[in-house]
Amino acid sequence: AARAVIGRCQARRRRGRCVLGWRVAAAITWSVLLLPICTAAFIILSGLDPFHPVRWISNSFNDLYTSYVIFCIFLMSMVIIIISIFNIEFYAVVPSIPCSRLALIGKIIHPQQVIHSFVHAIMGMLVTWCATVMTKGRFQFLAVSCTPSEGLEDAVPQMCLNEYHLFFLLSGAFLGYSYSLFYLINNMNYLPFPIIQQYKYLRFRRSLPLLIKHSCVESLHFVRNFCVTYYFFGYIPKVWICTTMDLHTDGKLHPLDTLSGLLDLSLFYHTWLSGVFLLMTWYIAWLLFKIYATESHHFPIQPTFAQETDQCLPKILNSNPPLLIKFLALQDLMLLSQYSPVRRQEVFSLSQPGGHPHNWTAISRECLSLLSDLTQRLIAQQEAAAAANGRAKPPVGELKVPPQTPEDMSFQSQRSNIVLRASMSPLVKPSLMPVKTSPGSDVGSPFSSPALNYKMGVVDIKSPWHGPVQSPHVMRRGPKLWTSVSDQQMNGSHHESFPVLSAARTGTEAVQPRFIYTWLQNKQEQIKTFLSKRALIMYFFSKHPEASIQAVFSDAQMHIWALEGLSHLVAASFTEDQFGVVQTTLPAILNTLLTLQEVVDRHFKLPHVSSKPPRISGSLVDTSYKTLRFALRASLKTALYRITTVFGEHLNAVQVSTEHKKRLQQFLEYKE
Amino acid sequence: QLSVLLSLQLTSEDMIAAFSQAVDWAGCTVRAFAWHPHTNKFAVALLDDSIRVYNSNSATVPSLKHRLQRNVAAMAWKPLCASILAVACQSCVLVWHLDPTSLSTRPSSGCAQVLSCPGHSPVTSLAWAPSGERLLSASPVDTAMLVWDVSTETCVQLQWFGGGGVTYLAWSPDGSKVLAATPSAVFRVWEAQMWTCERWPTIRGRCQTGCWSPDGSRLLFTVLGESVIYSLSFSEYRGEMQGQVGGSKTASIVADLSETTFETLYGEERIGGEVHSMVWDPTGERLAVIIRGEACPLFPPHSGFVRGERGARPQLISFHPCFPQGALLTVCWSSGKISHIPFFFVGALEPHASPRRSPVPVLGSVREQPLFSEL
Repeated sequence: AARAVIGRCQARRRRGRCVLGWRVAAAITWSVLLLPICTAAFIILSGLDPFHPVRWISNSFNDLYTSYVIFCIFLMSMVIIIISIFNIEFYAVVPSIPCSRLALIGKIIHPQQVIHSFVHAIMGMLVTWCATVMTKGRFQFLAVSCTPSEGLEDAVPQMCLNEYHLFFLLSGAFLGYSYSLFYLINNMNYLPFPIIQQYKYLRFRRSLPLLIKHSCVESLHFVRNFCVTYYFFGYIPKVWICTTMDLHTDGKLHPLDTLSGLLDLSLFYHTWLSGVFLLMTWYIAWLLFKIYATESHHFPIQPTFAQETDQCLPKILNSNPPLLIKFLALQDLMLLSQYSPVRRQEVFSLSQPGGHPHNWTAISRECLSLLSDLTQRLIAQQEAAAAANGRAKPPVGELKVPPQTPEDMSFQSQRSNIVLRASMSPLVKPSLMPVKTSPGSDVGSPFSSPALNYKMGVVDIKSPWHGPVQSPHVMRRGPKLWTSVSDQQMNGSHHESFPVLSAARTGTEAVQPRFIYTWLQNKQEQIKTFLSKRALIMYFFSKHPEASIQAVFSDAQMHIWALEGLSHLVAASFTEDQFGVVQTTLPAILNTLLTLQEVVDRHFKLPHVSSKPPRISGSLVDTSYKTLRFALRASLKTALYRITTVFGEHLNAVQVSTEHKKRLQQFLEYKE
Repeated sequence: QLSVLLSLQLTSEDMIAAFSQAVDWAGCTVRAFAWHPHTNKFAVALLDDSIRVYNSNSATVPSLKHRLQRNVAAMAWKPLCASILAVACQSCVLVWHLDPTSLSTRPSSGCAQVLSCPGHSPVTSLAWAPSGERLLSASPVDTAMLVWDVSTETCVQLQWFGGGGVTYLAWSPDGSKVLAATPSAVFRVWEAQMWTCERWPTIRGRCQTGCWSPDGSRLLFTVLGESVIYSLSFSEYRGEMQGQVGGSKTASIVADLSETTFETLYGEERIGGEVHSMVWDPTGERLAVIIRGEACPLFPPHSGFVRGERGARPQLISFHPCFPQGALLTVCWSSGKISHIPFFFVGALEPHASPRRSPVPVLGSVREQPLFSEL
């Protein structure tokens, strides 16, 4: 069975690669095709001779067709392909945000990143070697014959080290390494999705000026840093090369690791220019991959042939494809819900034999589970923040989610009931918590009424699955006295055993390990507090609040699309849904959105949380993941208003809790 | 292209005055007006750069002031939202986040987001997407118009060469298309999904104003120097035609407003001329226009006129976005008064039941609160 699961996973991954395959191929092809243009520009600029413009232009054009330039272009195409492969292997739609400095250092010395840096340094060296070959002149060869010294008449010509060439090669390695480092630090592997859809050519053209400017400035910075490094450490590689290749140093020439040696304008210009050339070609490959990968993809809603079932939007949403495919699917959902009445009709349609709204059920279930996942995560984060502040936990009972017992839902069909319970169960948990763990925390809450306790007890006993599924969560929601390890163990023990009886058994068994874990936890805390008093360690360990908030919302783009897609579909259903398939899910959707709205509101009231996005300068490096939470807040509100504006007074007929009814009324009166 | 060069030489205040939808932007007390798309709430920008927000359900009138709020040329409320107001200022776009339940009369400038982009000033026109997600801003000196994601303050430049900047924007109510007028004799219609555009050269001058039918299938526009209204129809938007605007080949003239003599209650009057601004009501049954230099807006096809108080000239017009019994026209007069003129009619069910002349206009200011800040 395990092998089957693995096989299926591989098949899924392959399918993901299939969708990506042609995009990657096209991106690489275009970046290789653009390489000769960059090379031509480089050759023209490197032979810059403003006093003899005619000779300069004609010389550069003659150089373009020489065999070594063509060889260089071929070599650099290889480099571009390797760089593209690294782009493809390292891309992420959810950025990984290091929360502390230690985590950042950990990322830098991660073997994967070390390989990335090493290969980029080699590639940088190759590109600058090509650049020296194409520039010609004094930079071209590593070994040159020494300038014959006077006086001595030994006819044996000695080979000397051309330090300029070495300087160039090392600068290439340095640039490659710096590129790799900045790629990591600036999260350049993150694929941001554009805020509006545009054709690829237009997106490329829009980014091109930025790209050129960015490469010029970056190259300037890198070359400056390299000069400083070479000034201090340049003698090491020089001596090493001289000894290994048995070369001499030319006494007539200025050594480059001195101030006067580095103050060579032509050297600086050529290093900078080859840096610009290197960065531009690499950034173009990176930009094209980004543009191709984030282009919207059209997923069919209903399969036309049986074998295409796996590629349908509902199937993909509910399976676990590579994240990029899931993102593309959600983006497509957002686009179709907004722009395509024909495809919306397919979503609302019933299956041919049977008449089940499979498409709508699958889509809405996935969107709702995404949103409730986020709700859970935010609640956990808020609890952690409250605990860290040393204050009492916020009364979770404020989240007045109605317990969706089968009695309440009896008006609905059995099928939607299951959907509802599946999607609502994570939301119910927090509201159950105060009853079980801290009954005194909110006396006024309706949930602490004995009648409801009794009711839930009935549910627990009647359906054996409620016990094991919910109790671990209840444990987890409770005060965090033990580590997550014990939590997992308890989860596991619960799942493998039978409900009520086994719960008691694991309870007694868990006493012993729990004690040990508590002890370990205490020790760990003690060590942490001890260490945190040392300033330097504090510097590395301290979590940056902004970064941890960004980390919580790092995949919020998915939730934004789920919100937009869902709300547009619900709004459209008011006029387009012939069979009323959306109506059955409307209470669940409203509940999920309103709960999320409360949690998000509370998140923005936490300390350390700024209510305004930081200013983003219009640079090439996209930092939109830093502001995703603001986009989420805005689109959540817009989504709720979209539904309330379309449905208006009809919403009063929808079954939601009184608390949510009040909130809905606020939305209906435009007072949120 | 002469006008492009001219527009570059104008000072920014002259430029706003030339391209604003207000008839006398430089001299009149009311510079911009905006109805909230869902509630009985409107914002008025005044000569002293302050903005007042009036609400039918509340007596408090918040007054918005900000260091950067200079020379307000346009305002727009965010759709599907309680109280977010975008303001086109001289140097930036300000987005006010007002608390609809607050009783404060001076919201702090911390409630305003500043959206600025180098080279994009003065901003003369704004348009929110009807779905509430994006904001468009335009400046006559910037050849690119900007699409803003306001929540994250990021923008995308939409550039198309030729024709200079963008002076006026109108987003079709169905959200599918955007009219972008330029200072030269050309205007563009953008399709709002893939953001491609169709270019429309006009014969005489630049496009002065335009408005969309409620279903987004028909665009009415006027051209500076001509006293006619053109109509341009678009193929029905089905969403499957990605990247196609789908405009018809030529624009047709639907109304000729050249000077004619009319019998009015006050005797014979000669009315007609160039159209300065034009609005279409949300039901699609009434069209209001301000004729340059005349005192009266006009309502074709069953035309009627609205006369202001003696000496008052119409400055700005706007229809209430969700008036249930018909249409509600709001006119800002040069005297500083704002009057609301209701038109009671039953929608498309009885197309010919509406009277030859629109119901007797209700004149005079509905609100007696002072329109000037007490500074």
